[in-house]
Amino acid sequence: MKLTRRDVLKTAAASSAIMALNGSLPMLKEAAAAEPDKWVKAVCRFCGTGCGVMIGVKGGKVVTVKGDPNNHNKGFLCLKGALMPPIVYAKERVTKPYIRKDGQLQAATWDEAMELVVSKFKTALKEHGPTSIAYYGSGQALTEESYLANKIWKAGLRSNNVEGNPRLCMASAVGGYVTSFGKDEPSGSYEDIDAATCFFIIGSNMSECHPILFKRVASRKQADPNVKVIVVDPRKTNTARIADEHVSFKPGTDLAILNAMAYVIIQEELDNPRFYDKYVNFMTNKKKKVDFKAYQKFLEDYTPEKAEKISGVPADQIRRIAKMFASSSGTVSFWTMGLNQRIRGVWANNLVTNLHLLTGQIGKRGATNFSLTGQPNACGGVRDTGSLCHLLPAGRVIKKAAHRAQLEKQWGLKPGTIAPKPGLHTIALWNAFSEAKVKAMFVLCTNPAHSLPNVNMYTEGMKRKDNFMVLSEPFMDAETVKYCDVLLPPAFWCEKRGVYGCSERRYSLLMQAVEPMGECKSDIDILLDFAKRMGVDPKVIPFKNVDDVWDEWREVSSATPYNFKGMTRARQEKESGLRWPCPTEDHPGTKIRYVRGEDPNIPKDYKNKYWYYGYPDGKAKLWMRPYAPAAEEPDAEYPMVLTTGRVIDHWHTGTMTMKVPELRRSFPKAYVEVNEEDASKLSIKNGDNVELETRRGKMVFQAKVSDVCRPGLVFVPWYDANLMINKLTLNAFDKGSKQPEYKICAVRIKKA
Amino acid sequence: MKRNCQNTRMLKIYPGILAGFVGLLLYGFSPLSVQGAGLKHLIPTDDAFDCYACHKIATPKIAQNWYESKHGMILVKCFVCHGQPDGKGSIPWTVSPDPKAVCQKCHDPAMKRMEAKFGVKLNCVKCHPFHQDSLHHDAYKKTQSKSQ
Repeated sequence: MKLTRRDVLKTAAASSAIMALNGSLPMLKEAAAAEPDKWVKAVCRFCGTGCGVMIGVKGGKVVTVKGDPNNHNKGFLCLKGALMPPIVYAKERVTKPYIRKDGQLQAATWDEAMELVVSKFKTALKEHGPTSIAYYGSGQALTEESYLANKIWKAGLRSNNVEGNPRLCMASAVGGYVTSFGKDEPSGSYEDIDAATCFFIIGSNMSECHPILFKRVASRKQADPNVKVIVVDPRKTNTARIADEHVSFKPGTDLAILNAMAYVIIQEELDNPRFYDKYVNFMTNKKKKVDFKAYQKFLEDYTPEKAEKISGVPADQIRRIAKMFASSSGTVSFWTMGLNQRIRGVWANNLVTNLHLLTGQIGKRGATNFSLTGQPNACGGVRDTGSLCHLLPAGRVIKKAAHRAQLEKQWGLKPGTIAPKPGLHTIALWNAFSEAKVKAMFVLCTNPAHSLPNVNMYTEGMKRKDNFMVLSEPFMDAETVKYCDVLLPPAFWCEKRGVYGCSERRYSLLMQAVEPMGECKSDIDILLDFAKRMGVDPKVIPFKNVDDVWDEWREVSSATPYNFKGMTRARQEKESGLRWPCPTEDHPGTKIRYVRGEDPNIPKDYKNKYWYYGYPDGKAKLWMRPYAPAAEEPDAEYPMVLTTGRVIDHWHTGTMTMKVPELRRSFPKAYVEVNEEDASKLSIKNGDNVELETRRGKMVFQAKVSDVCRPGLVFVPWYDANLMINKLTLNAFDKGSKQPEYKICAVRIKKA
Repeated sequence: MKRNCQNTRMLKIYPGILAGFVGLLLYGFSPLSVQGAGLKHLIPTDDAFDCYACHKIATPKIAQNWYESKHGMILVKCFVCHGQPDGKGSIPWTVSPDPKAVCQKCHDPAMKRMEAKFGVKLNCVKCHPFHQDSLHHDAYKKTQSKSQ
């Protein structure tokens, strides 16, 4: 619909009139008069940027928030962060336990609910063994909560079925870092942004998904006009507004582009043999160590011209961005779900890292390969505590007997307590739950009935009567509430105490600002109660409170390169976050890992400047990963590509942002973004209803016609519970990381 | 980024009311009303999203100033500072945001510096033209805004 100035004036007049008749405006909410009694230090509840917030409390209630000037965000908040208070007091808050009886959730006491939960778990354990129970956690749970659940399951109940939603958002990044460096997590920090002269942003709409980091990048560009920004994305997002080069490509072909960039870098002699000769091993896809010449030969399949044929990106543009990347004084690359949520997500991660290893754009201020994470505590809470089915705390893996033995010793367990076989990864776990092979599942702080790909498949399984799901969820309108058998009321965000660890390895303490609502309990208390009722050995779970859990985790880390023993609670209360490694109480935290003089794991007199200690020979790995297509490429039947993602106003499944009137109204419902050319061919106008059909089903969305998507691509945001695009997405996953390919599936569209 | 307004058709226009309140039409868009106590605005339905889509037509200069400003670049949208037109939001609905209720959320350190330097300043916007502080002096020229 085209809107003219005249339309707007007419409408304005009408509404002015109606307003005049209605009388004065309602009372204002967050007025200046509400000067808080106190400010309490915490971290934002939303994305993986992990901005520090100060929570304003008046009369025992949260009345406002402001940015923490001492955390990395220097006092700034994005629009979601600035509007958090209404979420706490949403009318949908779950404030007492519920048990499903005759299909309906009915209020119950804590004792009734927990006894039912425990009886179901005990029965499953007794009749079907430890593989029939599972924990499905979250990158939004506190670190202590994930650590505790992991220990209850793996050490207490001897079940490795510990998974969580981070499998859906950053498993490929873990796979990428571990295969390239032998250790997980980024090596740089946000401060690298202030020193970089080139930004390579690929598969990330930072501006809407990590707004405060985007602000920092934009400010860097403003301060120095010579700073170059490259945005590689098939959508022309708001991030591309500051791009010197926006590289639009056929979705799924970025692997070819990244290899072609490496080809150009070598051809233009912008590579750095002094770095890679000493610190890098060249590896074939079959894990064979080869030499540089073999790598050069591998790259012959990826000349810019060949890559142009695959990706649709002009060869000249590939040459330009490769030169920018390699010749800057410092390049920082950022990526998120565009690379991770792919069946070749690990490979894509490796190929970005290759460019850094080839050019030596790593391990110095302003030069790093930086995977941004999507949730506030996916890094610190789940990756670092090893709360996934194949991991153990601090970078250890279940498969390695030595790793299990180390942890058993640290945890004071009998040798052989930890089961040697990894548990089920997220997709396999939900498949098993749908088939009732997993009988009892504890879901905490996540909404799988909305967030799993091809979600109808799994919600059907959740409806079964012969499996059992207990859910700890603060909001009654979360989709998964419809399917749970017991619903527990957790304390929310500012009502509890614990640690969030963001993308830059920064652990910040969230202090409790207000008392939990109604009968709500912190998830730590819920899990401790569960362990006690399950009869877990009190020597294994000896904790009285959240601080005890933190102290043990700190001690466990001290025997590993994660070492953050120096982050005592007293120190955390005082400081606004510290970056690990941080081995002693007087250590300031680490800005750059693997570098002598910066990383406390490297002796000060170590012979070389860099030491990639994740591998025995101290070298990083450059992997020759070939281009491979998506799991479901478009074809004659389904000729277009569907991709999904976020809008700045909403976060994940919208259970929080939909509670803020401003955010809810800003994007009240999901829509489909269609390119102007496609729209014109299909006679679709802005605002028309459009039917999207994939092999999983069909749905109708209102069209937004624009030039944001490239032709052949449509985008739908995934936050809307009433229009869940995950009914149409694909559950094919990366063989390495087991992360599903949300970002690409084939679709056909028509005017509804 | 192109934004589009699709839902204004939902706002019914009654010719009778229109005829009766021609004066309010003029008043509603006069500078006096915007700065005065009785702020007039569309009645938003639950779907009245995207202030920018309508304001780039109704008040193009202000909308474009925002779009090219730091706030526009990082998508600090209208409602973050101005609230909701029906007052049912979590931020007060106002033309001139209250520094203590709004600006402080992000600019508390700067406000404290200003207070220390010049004494208490009640009105940030008097000196800081927040809509017009372009983030990149020419960045917007490379963007879609050029064609809008």
